[in-house]
Amino acid sequence: MSYRVKLNVFEGPFDLLVYLIEHAQMSIYDIKISEITSQYLSYVEKMKNADINVSAEFMVLAAALVEIKSRMLLPRKTTDDGCAELAEDPRTELVEKLVEYKRFKRISEMLACRQEEASMQFEKPQEDLSVYTGEPDEYFNLDIEQFRRAFEQFLVRKRRIEEIREHHKRTEKQRITTEIRMENIKEFFRQSNVDEADFRELIYKRDDKYDVAVTFSSVLEMMKEKRLDASQKYLFGDITVKATEHLFDENTDEGEPDGQQ
Amino acid sequence: MASNKTIKSAIESMMFVWGEPLDIKEIAEIFNMDKKEVYNLCKELQEEYEQEGRGIVIREVNRSFQFTTRRENLGYIERLCTPVRHKRLSQSALEVLAIVAYKQPVTKGEIEAVRGIRCDRVIEGLVKKKLVAEVGRSDAVGRPILYGTTDEFLKQFGFASLKELPAIEDLEGVLTEDDEETGATDSLYMQQISIDLSDK
Repeated sequence: MSYRVKLNVFEGPFDLLVYLIEHAQMSIYDIKISEITSQYLSYVEKMKNADINVSAEFMVLAAALVEIKSRMLLPRKTTDDGCAELAEDPRTELVEKLVEYKRFKRISEMLACRQEEASMQFEKPQEDLSVYTGEPDEYFNLDIEQFRRAFEQFLVRKRRIEEIREHHKRTEKQRITTEIRMENIKEFFRQSNVDEADFRELIYKRDDKYDVAVTFSSVLEMMKEKRLDASQKYLFGDITVKATEHLFDENTDEGEPDGQQ
Repeated sequence: MASNKTIKSAIESMMFVWGEPLDIKEIAEIFNMDKKEVYNLCKELQEEYEQEGRGIVIREVNRSFQFTTRRENLGYIERLCTPVRHKRLSQSALEVLAIVAYKQPVTKGEIEAVRGIRCDRVIEGLVKKKLVAEVGRSDAVGRPILYGTTDEFLKQFGFASLKELPAIEDLEGVLTEDDEETGATDSLYMQQISIDLSDK
């Protein structure tokens, strides 16, 4: 199990920078860039060593600080008539951002106090009003668009469920095995009291290929067990299925017919 | 037409049953009255509770009214039972909330520009807590989502409406002295620059 240690965690690069500036008791409008930059960089380095994931934003500000620092080193153009025109302070943009950030940090502190105060008040959550209305609470807080969407979703879901159900019905019917069909065939001969039948009579559902196939393989299986005999007069002609004397034998276990052969 | 006294009494009963902040629009519909009048009556009622120092007070949340307990009685309630208080928000959540509250409607990009760091997760958390909600889309490229605060925010932070948010200037005690400095810009900047150069 791992656990996290919260060192001086800063909410972002500005947070760190503001902290460093205030710590050094500098005015935010007069940042000693060189000093702050090295402090900032060493702090980021410390964070890395402490295995804190230093996000890219910290590096972006580090780069910005270095850039400002280098621009501060460049000699300033002074116009001939003294100080009439002032070159822009390279720090201006940063200062503006920091002032803005500090402003919201201040507001966030105010909000924290407000929340603390407001949480001293309790409300009663709304209870089930059906006690008062005498009927279950039936109104929906839905606009027509949401309602339409909900209904559409309901329809889609219903359709899907029906499809699945349909599918299941089919597969259940297909579960009929040759074993069951063989029993059916025996039953057929027992009840109809004939010993010869057209293959087609043994099929339950003529239009169901699966049923035909199961019946056919059942007949083949029973022929193997010598329970039935079948003959076909010509190619694609009707198949006549004949019962043998072994048809109702309890169990022609596999060893016996083999032994007879 | 019912007298103000009976209407106020009825409002009181309705607020009791409703529990949640009761919108003056609904009260106005019930009495077939002007919303402004209803609002004034609610304010009167609030004032009466306040003056009598009742254990129940009326809280206004975005032109809705609701009974709550009096703050001073917190200790007694806590001795009776342990009510769940809202968890305090993290520093980053508070910062983002501050930016949304004062700059709304605001895009994520604008929030991130102020904080200098990505805020997706924080915004997500605030939306989940229902303190912040999408209020539309900006016309800017990509039509980014605009965020604003919710009534839940007003409630949890004890504001009757957004107008009650203190003006930023009032909060800037820390910054004001510095602000004066900016007033006398030009010559000061000159000084600063020369100092910095001599440092090197």
